[in-house]
Amino acid sequence: MTAQGAIPTLAIRSRGRGRGLFRGLRSVESVIGLIIVAVIFALGLLAPIIAPYSPYAQGSGSFLPPSPDHWFGTDEFGRDLFSRVLYGIRQDVIVGAVAVPIGAILGMLLGLASTLAWWLDTVIQRGFDVSLAFTSLVMGVTVAAIIGPGLPAVLITVAFVNIPLFGRLTRNALRSQQARDYVTAGRVVGVPPIRLLLRHVLPNSIDALVVQAALSLSLAVFIEGAMSFVGIGVKLPEPSLGSLLRTSINFLAQAPTYAIPPMLVVTALVLAFNLVGDGLNKGLLKR
Amino acid sequence: MNDTAPVLEVENLVTTFHTGEGPVNAVRGVSFSLRAGETMALVGESGSGKSVTALSLLNMVRRPGRVEEGRVLFHGVDLLGMSENELRSIRGKSISVVFQDPTGSLNPLMKVRDQLVETILAHRPIGRAAAEEEAIELMVQVGIPDPHARLADYPLAFSGGMSQRVMIAIALANNPEVIIADEPTTALDVTIQAQILELLVTLNKERGTSVILITHNLGIVARVCDRIAVMYAGKIVEEGETSVVFSSPKHPYTRDLLGATPRLDHPRDRELVAIKGRPPTLRTPIQGCSYAARDPLAFDRCFVQSPELLRDGEGHAHACFLTEHGESLPPRPESILLPLTQAQHSQTPLLEVTNLVKEYPAGGRTLFGKYRKSLHAVDGVSFRINIGETVGLVGESGCGKSTIAKLILGIEEPTAGSITYEGVETGHLGARARRDFNKNVQLIFQNPMSSLNPRMTVGAAVAEPLRVRGASPADVQQRVAELLEMVGMDPSVGERYPHEFSGGQRQRIVIARALAVDPRLIVCDEAVAALDVSLQAQVINLIRELQMKLGLSYLFIGHDIATVRHVASRIMVMYLGEVVESGPSEEITARPLHPYTASLLSAVPEPDPEVEASRERIILTGEVPTPLNPPSACRFHTRCPIGPLFREDRSVCATEKPELRTVGDGREVACHFPGELLVGPSEADLAEKRLAAGSELGPVRRVQRAS
Repeated sequence: MTAQGAIPTLAIRSRGRGRGLFRGLRSVESVIGLIIVAVIFALGLLAPIIAPYSPYAQGSGSFLPPSPDHWFGTDEFGRDLFSRVLYGIRQDVIVGAVAVPIGAILGMLLGLASTLAWWLDTVIQRGFDVSLAFTSLVMGVTVAAIIGPGLPAVLITVAFVNIPLFGRLTRNALRSQQARDYVTAGRVVGVPPIRLLLRHVLPNSIDALVVQAALSLSLAVFIEGAMSFVGIGVKLPEPSLGSLLRTSINFLAQAPTYAIPPMLVVTALVLAFNLVGDGLNKGLLKR
Repeated sequence: MNDTAPVLEVENLVTTFHTGEGPVNAVRGVSFSLRAGETMALVGESGSGKSVTALSLLNMVRRPGRVEEGRVLFHGVDLLGMSENELRSIRGKSISVVFQDPTGSLNPLMKVRDQLVETILAHRPIGRAAAEEEAIELMVQVGIPDPHARLADYPLAFSGGMSQRVMIAIALANNPEVIIADEPTTALDVTIQAQILELLVTLNKERGTSVILITHNLGIVARVCDRIAVMYAGKIVEEGETSVVFSSPKHPYTRDLLGATPRLDHPRDRELVAIKGRPPTLRTPIQGCSYAARDPLAFDRCFVQSPELLRDGEGHAHACFLTEHGESLPPRPESILLPLTQAQHSQTPLLEVTNLVKEYPAGGRTLFGKYRKSLHAVDGVSFRINIGETVGLVGESGCGKSTIAKLILGIEEPTAGSITYEGVETGHLGARARRDFNKNVQLIFQNPMSSLNPRMTVGAAVAEPLRVRGASPADVQQRVAELLEMVGMDPSVGERYPHEFSGGQRQRIVIARALAVDPRLIVCDEAVAALDVSLQAQVINLIRELQMKLGLSYLFIGHDIATVRHVASRIMVMYLGEVVESGPSEEITARPLHPYTASLLSAVPEPDPEVEASRERIILTGEVPTPLNPPSACRFHTRCPIGPLFREDRSVCATEKPELRTVGDGREVACHFPGELLVGPSEADLAEKRLAAGSELGPVRRVQRAS
């Protein structure tokens, strides 16, 4: 055929992942999960505006029951619990937004490295085996013992726990993708290795990683709570959901309602992230 | 045939799948009857509803599918009206089923004995000891050697063919009246397929079991079935005695299916009938005849009114307005059957392969990480492909044919030997040189589903090879449109994603992508094996057409010698990593010299009941030996019908390796006794005459493995 400019315009760009991700988030559970996460995180971020009191300001009475002045009541020093819970959420936002991405990126790089040479694979995978052998809390204790308790210890632990999770997943996804015919086809038509990785292998492997990211966020909230609960996480008087829970246990007899708000928030967050993960899983992976 | 009362009568069966995206009418009113002792074929392409029909008979359709209407009368009792409990007493006892994937249908954690005994005891409380006795008896009947020992094995220890025998044994366990075999040989190699078909025929003759054989392969129907029902879009469009339907089809779909199937006894330059379009989607109700859109002879009425399945005086039923009053069906308009002229190719070699060897490490590893064994996937293969020539490579699975493709493309590196392209060695190229080389040599894969990136538009996929070579966007766009047009697709499809296309269309897109770099040699690795017959014909015709237009050379790899013969001018036959015979395709298929080629040819069922009934069939017993530990000397001697197994004086086959030698006019063969097998059966060779005499399907030469 001759070129006469009459050729219809072709969309030869591949439409990105937007469509796929959107489909993943369209399910009922992921929408519910996203709403819960958005509300809770917004409360945390807007804490300075919403919170009626300073989280450190000690008030008139301790262990006051919930009332219009103090929606969740007050703690042992008379601080407003509602404000402390709002500020406590911020710690989880920090952990989720900083530690999970760091862990994910390191893990993905190691996973990628695993596919380069078999000996590198062996070394890295055995390293993953070792780190997976420790439960997250044991890892937290170890980190806290080395650098001292505090928010940094939580961040490092969460990042560290996530490395093998993402590493394994990346490695296996890349492996299975590399054996696909269309990757071979790309190689055969002369697509350079880097482009092969970026255009063919990664886009098709990323679904599993997105699902893992949602689950990792819930794990991050859980680890923060657990570490602060045993006293090696966020240090007092800084509020965090975990430390609030820990303190509340001491005073369960005097103030039974103390434990409920932080508990509900932690549960809701973990549940919500899991819902998002499930929804993504359905939409993206099960075709 | 016989006038006995029907065992099974199916009346107006309707099965619908209620999916999230609306109902799918998989079976839209199917009626047929099966007489005692009859073998009936249910034929159709994928999606025609043949498997769903089979499952519906026993009400085994899983949710979201449901049998909506109809009756299935088994000796006059409606199976669909039965409770689950009552049905269970029928399933596996009176009617049993054999599925396509034998390894998937056996429980890997149960010994074969237990699975057989379980089936027997589920219907007949005869005690375990008696059941085990029967199990051994069944294993003998389905031809499994050494039944005592094999019964104690787990299914993993069985090959595909042996597993299918076990499945048949299980199906036979309670002496059923009807066996429903759903594509029982599709997952098997041709020589093994021939064994299993032989077994089904024998069982049918000896025990009088009725068989419903579901298949897409018309050759199989011609070989074993008395009657055939052709399904299209959820309905039976033609039904009758096999010989009648094959010789004078009365429905255009049957006629076109027959025309689309490559045959060994047709001239090679005849183009295959490529049925245009694709089957209708079963999601929406079909207006008029479901085949009207694909038949050039369809007229107004076909698009409005749905033809009834009418039976004529001879019991031949067909649903077509063209043949409504017994007219004979006109041939498909010849305009589509433009004969392909035999392209003359030059004698200049494009690719030369010399003594190619590929070993893979295998087996356990030693303490120091070295593998204990090596698997010789390809062992000393030499051939050449001239410019503009198509060379075919035929062999069963595991013979090393795909490895050769990988070696030529440079996906794997050869262990020894050389591959030269236009005189330049290409066996061990660096990454950059490899990319330049691949501009000349391209690959088409077996499975078009997996060879396109699901996240890339079709246009992007075809454009990619151009882009990585730095073509300007405008050039790319124009070239992509050209390429898509060249493979017979509308250029506007470039914006769509691969999952929106049928297998045949996707294979066209894959071809367009391969053509994007202007290759001179294309390696087709089972390029049509995953496609339905009609689509297969489309792709084969396209491949041949492109060769004439562009002067391409092909290496066409396949397991089906009839298809390969149709495409290739020269054929090489491989067995266990070695080429055993090569030569011009017509000659090889007409007068094979190597006994393996002869067996292969005789194993391929031809879609012609007359040919099938008259020709001699060589049934090889045994399996292809593992390439990990291939037989010594001639690798075929453990299965060879004219080898030391049957002729004691021929120990030479087991001690001395026959070299591949030239035997005039471009033919080569590696056999000590070439050309002997076709000299007709000598009576002494017929090992088991009982079976040959019992079968009405022509003389059979059975080959028994010496234990």
